[in-house]
Order: sequence, then C-alpha cells, then structure tokens
Amino acid sequence: MNWRIIGTLVAKDFSLFFRNKLFAALTAIAFIFYIVVYFVMPSTVNENLEIGLYSPVTLPVFTGMQEEGLEVETVASEEALKEGVIEGKYVAGVSLPADMMEKLASQQKPTVSLYFTPDVPQEMKDTVALIIRELAYLQTGQPLNIEVTEEILGPDMTGTPIPPRDRLRPLLAIMILMVEMMGLANLLSEELERGTVHALLVTPMSIKELFIAKGITGTGLAFGQSVLFMLLVGGFGGGPLIILIALLLGAVLVTGVAFLISSVSKDFMSVLAWSIPAFIILMVPSFSILFPGAITNWIKILPSYYLVDIVHRVANFGSGWGDVWLNLLILLGFCLVITWLGIFFLRRRVR
Amino acid sequence: MARDAIVAEELTYRYGELTAVDHISFNVAESEILGFLGPNGAGKTTTFKMLTGQLKPKGGQARLLGMDVMKNVEKVQGEIGVCFETTNLYEQMSALENLNLFARLFGMRSFDGNALLERVGLPGRGKDRVETYSKGMKQRLMVARAILNRPRVLFLDEPTAGLDPTSSETIRNIILEERERGATVFLTTHDMLEADKLSDRVAFMNQGEIVALDTPHQLKQQHGKRALKAKVAGDDGGLEDREITLDTPETPEAVRKLFSQEKVITIHSEEATLEDIFISLTGRGLV
Repeated sequence: MNWRIIGTLVAKDFSLFFRNKLFAALTAIAFIFYIVVYFVMPSTVNENLEIGLYSPVTLPVFTGMQEEGLEVETVASEEALKEGVIEGKYVAGVSLPADMMEKLASQQKPTVSLYFTPDVPQEMKDTVALIIRELAYLQTGQPLNIEVTEEILGPDMTGTPIPPRDRLRPLLAIMILMVEMMGLANLLSEELERGTVHALLVTPMSIKELFIAKGITGTGLAFGQSVLFMLLVGGFGGGPLIILIALLLGAVLVTGVAFLISSVSKDFMSVLAWSIPAFIILMVPSFSILFPGAITNWIKILPSYYLVDIVHRVANFGSGWGDVWLNLLILLGFCLVITWLGIFFLRRRVR
Repeated sequence: MARDAIVAEELTYRYGELTAVDHISFNVAESEILGFLGPNGAGKTTTFKMLTGQLKPKGGQARLLGMDVMKNVEKVQGEIGVCFETTNLYEQMSALENLNLFARLFGMRSFDGNALLERVGLPGRGKDRVETYSKGMKQRLMVARAILNRPRVLFLDEPTAGLDPTSSETIRNIILEERERGATVFLTTHDMLEADKLSDRVAFMNQGEIVALDTPHQLKQQHGKRALKAKVAGDDGGLEDREITLDTPETPEAVRKLFSQEKVITIHSEEATLEDIFISLTGRGLV
C-alpha cells in the first residue's frame, strides 16, 4: 500500500470537488440552510396538553373539559384516536369503554385505555392518568374506581420532551451526508466518463489504492461536514464518541452508495436521477423521528434507520453504549455490505 | 545487439465469443519505434491495453523490460509512459497541476513542469486551465504527461489524430527525441505517412492477427511494386501517360524504348505506400 499515492489522489479529489462550482455551492448553501432551519425551529416544547378523547357514551364532564393548559378533542372512533396520537396531534389519547357508566354504577372497575406517543415523558403519562381519574370523580361524585391501561404506539422513549429543532437534527445530519454522496458520485462518474481514471491506472498506482483514496475522499467530505453541523447545533451532548462513530459509519455508508451510483451513471443527469431515489429512501427513517408513531418494522430494513436512531437516541435522550451497540453493529454490517457492493460494481466498470 | 523491450507471445484476448486478439507474437527492441497499424476493430487498442497492464490477457504472455506485465503490473507501469487516443486530462486543473499530479504518482521528487511544457510547445501556458486549451494543445499536454517520468517504453495511441500540421510535427519530433534518449516507442496510428516516416518497423494488424511485420522498406520491397511514371508528348500535341514497372527483367528494355521512341516531358519514380501494401495484404482499407 503506497500512502504517498493515496495522499496525492485524495488531495487531488478534494481540490476537484471544490472546483466543481455546482457542488461547492450546493454544499455551502445546503450546509448554511440546514443550520438556519435548525435555529429557526422552536427550541421549546408546547406546554399545552392536547388530548384526544374517544367516548362512545355521553359523559359531559369528559367531553366538555377545557381548562387552561388542557385541550380535549373528541374523535369519532378508537382508530381515529390512535391515528391522531401517531401523527403527533395529541400528546395522549383517551379511550373510554362503552359500558363505563354501567360498571361504575355496579361498583365494577371500568378500563380506560390511554395511548401515548413513544417519547412522552413519564410525568406526562402520570398527569394524564390523574386527570382521567379526576374527571371520573367529577362525573360520578364517587371516589375513583377505574383501571387505567397505557399503550405506547411505537418504541417507548420516556424522558424529557424534545423540542422540534432537536427532532429535526438527525434529518438534517443525514441530508448533509446525502449531498456529499451526490458530490462524490458525480466526481467518480466524471473520472470514468472523461477517462482520467485510465490515465491514473497506467501509473504505478494500484486499483486498490484508487478505491482507498476515493473512499477517504467521500468519507472525509461527508464525515467532516456532518461533524461540523453537529458541533454547531450542539448535537454532541449525549455521547460524543457514539455520535462520532455513528456519523463516521454514516459517511462510509453514503460513500458506498456513491460508488454504486457512479457505477451505473454516465453524466451529471444520470447521477442526479440515481441519487434522488437513494436520497428519498435513505431519508425516510428521519421522518420517523419527526412523527414518532410512524415507526413500523419495515423501516428497519433501511440502513439509515440505524444511523438516525442512534443519533436521535444519543443526542436527544442521552442513551449510552448499552442502548445502541446493536444498532451500531447493524449499521457497520450495512456499511461493509454496501461498500463491498459499490467497489465490486465500480471496479467492473473501471475495468 | 539490442535487447527486447517488448515481447508478446501468443497474446490473446476475447470479448465473449469475439476474439479481438488472436495469438499474436512479436517483439520490439530497445530504442526501436514500432508502428502498429490496422483498421478500426483490428485489435490494436486491445493489444495496447494488454501491453500496458490495463487488460489481463486471456492467453499468452506480455513481457516488458524482461518482466511479466500482469505479475509486475505496478513495477512495469512505473517504467512506461502512455498517451491515450482520447483526451483524458483533468480539465478543471491547470497544465502544471496535471503534470505535477502525475509526477507525484510516479514518485518524482524533482520535476520541472515548465521545462516540459516548453519542450512540447506550450511555454507560458502552464497556469491556464486545460479546459481553455485547443485540441492540439491538449494533445501536446497528453504527450508531455506520457514522457514526464522519462519512460523506458513509450506507448502512443494515435498521438496526432485530427491535429493541425504544427502540432503533429511537434509531436513527431518529440517521438524521435524520445527514441534518441533510448526509449522504445510503440506507436499506434492510422497515418501511413507518419508510420513510414517514424517507424523502424511496422506491424499490420487485421482481424486480431498480425499479417505483416517488417521495416517499411522491406514491406514495400516484398509486397509493393515500384514504377516509373512519365508524361510524353502525344501525336495531337497533348500529354500522354506512360508507366513502366521497375525491378522486372523487362524494365531496362522498356526504359530504353521510352527514351528512344517517345518525347519524354516529365518522369518520376513511384513507390507503393504502406496503405497500398495493407490493402494488397488484407483486401481492405485502413479506416
């Protein structure tokens, strides 16, 4: 392995990347835009308690309850209630049983179901349960005798409430990685189309050194910018080392995807055409942070889910190694597979 | 006796069912210029790629400077210079940046890019971006890049194709200078006159095979015919053409008759061109 050759190629690639006016401008504009978006988003949590209520029986105390800091909206069905919770419309959903009054009258315990979004703090859950008991007391004039069951729609992430800007952080971080993915794919595609790669391959440089150099360039560009972004938005609070490792793996992942894209692209337009679907697919998991209940198991087949999940949990909830080691391992596995595939197909194209 | 710089033994390459290069064998001595001629699709570029380590032969062996190319590909590539047919320079970089990049890849510690640019006729243009260069200038820069490491074997693929006469002449002079320095030159070209002028030997390639390999003079001797072409005064006062084939037993008598019986206005000898020979050997043209 000749590191002098690799260093020369990396320096050349960095120089060429920033000479491409389109990608240099895109990188700078996107970076500034993401920072601005982050700081424009609210940094506080809405303190109003918005509760959805499904009540098949008429309980005036419940349906008419509107106090300062508490907003209750009645919905037509239990499904609509769950949907409202998943979409983040309500902090909690309250579902009263159809036989509530009969059970209360016969001294039995009616069961009230509560639905929560995954990241609602325990204090909030306790408050909602308390309100329900209080309302039941007001309705019946008797000491409370109800059973409350809680259901979390999605993974439970009990902790402090997350301001919208911090929910957005993983999405913005992954978008930065994606822009660099397109930049590297374009750089590689140009190298192949203009034949400069053949000029390189008749020097004492080996094809292995070529791929290492390209890998360092792509990973370096993506990693550097995502780290800078996280620094500027204070994203390293929870566990800096874990986030650094996750971002590094994310940068390797997008480099692998860039290899794949450049192996099938012929020019800037085809790079764009292949990058956009990749961009959209890899970004999907970030939206699960914005709309927590939307997480379903299929999303876990996307490699970026593990990156987003690690960044979100560590930066926003202070999760540690014990919580995210498996995700790190899976992300590493995805990186190895995608990078290997990228090298395999790109090597065929080069040859 | 000069040693062989390039040796091809039964070199073969197939693209699927198509045999692009079919068991060809030849050698090129040190400091020799070999012109490698043939029409499009004859297998020239595939041979070129196998000799420079870009393609692994499907059969046979290529040796450069005594080394098996595929077993010592990086070592071999450190000793060669390659000029491609199509321009493949970093256009967003300046000429000097291009040259310095490749000098570093070849591990050259001291390198005077400006002197090299002057040698190829691009003085004072080193700091300009390559995208601002004309085709001829780019080609001269490609040649400069190919010779910057003082290669022992220089591979040139159509180095003067589509160039103006001045650029072509500059490149031809550089090829001859490199040969004088001691480099072996493997020259692929369509230009018969260029091959004739520069090459010590020429190889004709057709449908993956070498159909002839010799010095241009020998090839003309063996496969071409020489003739005397004369214009004589006609009976009606106009000019008439006469042609006498040379190197035959009848030639002396025919020449004597021409001068004794006709009024010769102009006379000159004419040799077969390499293209004529190629056509006579393969039944097809070079393009």
